[in-house]
Amino acid sequence: MYHVATTSQFGLVFESFLPQVQTMTPILYFGLFAMSFDFISGYTGYLSFGHAVFYGTGAYLVIVIANGKIPLLAAGTPFMISVVLAAVLAALIAVAIGLVSFRLTGVYFAMITLGFAQVFYVFIRGWDWVATAPRDGPSVSFGTHPEGFRIGIPYVDGASYAIGRLYGSGLEGFLGLFDLSTTVVSFYMIGLVVLVCYLAMQRIIHSPFGRVMIAIRENEERARAIGYNTFYYKLGAFAISGAFAGVAGALFAGYRRSVTPENTFYFLTTGDALLSSIIGGLGTLAGPLYGRLFEQGLDEFLSKGSEGGGLLPMLQEYLSRSILETNALGLTIEEMIDAFINGRASLYVGIVFVLFVLFVPNGLLGSLRERVGGPIAKLPGRLFGGEKP
Amino acid sequence: MIDATLFTAEVVPLSIVDAFVEFLHPSELVGVLVDGLSKAAIYAMIAGGLTLIFGLMGVLNFAHGSLTMVGAYLGGAIMVLSVSSATGPMTRLAFFFVGIVVVFGALSAVGGALEISLIRRLYDRPPIAQILLTFGLTLIIDELMRIVLEFYDLQPRADWIAAWGTKPWFLSQRLSIGPVDVRGLALFEILMGVLTVGAIWAFLTRTRYGLFIRAGSEDSEMASALGIDVRRVFTVVFAMGTGVAGVAGMLLMWDTLWGASVPLGAETLLPAFVVVIIGGLGTFRGTVVAALLVGMVDAVMTWWFVNEIRFTGLPELTIFLILVIVLIVRPQGLYGVEGVGGH
Repeated sequence: MYHVATTSQFGLVFESFLPQVQTMTPILYFGLFAMSFDFISGYTGYLSFGHAVFYGTGAYLVIVIANGKIPLLAAGTPFMISVVLAAVLAALIAVAIGLVSFRLTGVYFAMITLGFAQVFYVFIRGWDWVATAPRDGPSVSFGTHPEGFRIGIPYVDGASYAIGRLYGSGLEGFLGLFDLSTTVVSFYMIGLVVLVCYLAMQRIIHSPFGRVMIAIRENEERARAIGYNTFYYKLGAFAISGAFAGVAGALFAGYRRSVTPENTFYFLTTGDALLSSIIGGLGTLAGPLYGRLFEQGLDEFLSKGSEGGGLLPMLQEYLSRSILETNALGLTIEEMIDAFINGRASLYVGIVFVLFVLFVPNGLLGSLRERVGGPIAKLPGRLFGGEKP
Repeated sequence: MIDATLFTAEVVPLSIVDAFVEFLHPSELVGVLVDGLSKAAIYAMIAGGLTLIFGLMGVLNFAHGSLTMVGAYLGGAIMVLSVSSATGPMTRLAFFFVGIVVVFGALSAVGGALEISLIRRLYDRPPIAQILLTFGLTLIIDELMRIVLEFYDLQPRADWIAAWGTKPWFLSQRLSIGPVDVRGLALFEILMGVLTVGAIWAFLTRTRYGLFIRAGSEDSEMASALGIDVRRVFTVVFAMGTGVAGVAGMLLMWDTLWGASVPLGAETLLPAFVVVIIGGLGTFRGTVVAALLVGMVDAVMTWWFVNEIRFTGLPELTIFLILVIVLIVRPQGLYGVEGVGGH
């Protein structure tokens, strides 16, 4: 699809608007993190402002294991085992934080989770055991992991594919049909893990447990009155959410092979997940992924035109030289584009975000569902199969 | 920043005793006290506006830090433009106070405009919507500030050195008072903090409008039934809160520990939140007490860990540890009322 779109007659337009495969992979793992954030914040109504802790825990654990720093776990521990351990550790930390935090509600809950996250952030930034320069964060050395981390069934190489931004396996003659580049393989393999996690979370939300979560969001007192011990349900939901955030962090670390405190434990990482969730739709599990796609797409579209795509090359192509060089307010149009649009995505993401909060409180997916009258996946059934809404 | 490490610290029992003796030495003790008070003053100034806004409207204003940052740059710009190397110290100080009035006015106008145009639409929505909206505003404000900085070629990330240079000499010096010497700027910050806190307190308790604000904060329905225009009170409080944030920012642009920079927004927002939460959301008295507590603990920890244990990250850590501990022991904050803010 992507290939067809970019090589067609309108290739340049598509190339400008569609995100590239290199950016799709981060969308997947960060989308998973945003989904896990939405899992607790959107479904139980408890804004977890320190969610970056779990993401960071997963990311750091993978790197620390790969560098052979954990006793009993060799540097060559299969990646999938690290991922599972990351999920477990993140869940344990979530339980510990949740035990204290769920005595509070609303803004206080948001603040205590933020407080815990900052404690972790400052701590990891000064802890020289994880990295020689803890402020810059650790990375996986070439010696211990010459190729990328492998996603698949541990100890079965044939069923595992390596991922990585710089490393990883490519596939030649896949099914005798395609050649897949390393980035595309990474994309599908990470996508597979994210899909499994998504389905698992989806399953939980549609289970009785998930119903109680929603009941807590709608009216916690009533949920308690019915006889549910809401504290344990909240704690459980928080642990599950933390585990998936840990997986997301592990995928991120596996793909990038290096992490910094800023892009894992810092509170603005949680802020990014919040942005994705709101734009995509808080309280719709898949929404955050679309939100992230939207946000990242906008970011790439407005970024400096060096890596293909982007607004500026397109404008340069379609606008004539004379328009670009027209003077307005002491700047040529080209300079104005450069000053106000190129690389200024966060300005526009912010504006879009504010507009969404004001006018589209349900987000992209939530609003779409409202229009359609139910989950999108059930639409064909309702239209053609006569299923009652 | 000193590159500090956590676990390489060599602490032998004797040195702790030594350190304790050194710590109790009057000159050190007074130095730490002044440091703590100056930190408390700054925290109180930033958090004061935040707590007014929260107490009255239930809006936890995430844009507060960014508005402080705007105040720092605006104040810095006023000083840099008006001060030359020949300007005497008293004239500089006079310019500073003129600048404070301008910054307060400008940011109050911005705050009022934000309240009327955006935040007003959200009062009947769940409080999370206001957090989200103001969070979005920080992104916009920060990025707009970066555009302006790049346009005028001020480095967006490093601290703004030109603004430091506009300080009168006696504020950048260490002043000796009897046996101890303290940072001149610290004393100035304490003075400004006391003035600001005093002004807000007087406004709240001694003026008719302050009465409206307190009434609206207690029970906005009843207040509006009694004929108070609560909407306008909201606007005024929001404008005042952002104005005070701007004034705090203007003070920070002189302080070499902070300085005017875009990340200043996040750097001030987090401690301000901590102070507001510890004090108990929405109580002005609680905020002042919490600012004193956090400032003093911060100063003591800074002295202790920079001088003796050499882990500079720790003061930052303690602020959040205080938050976590206070919330565990007293979930509603020091002076908070149980149930308030439980949304």
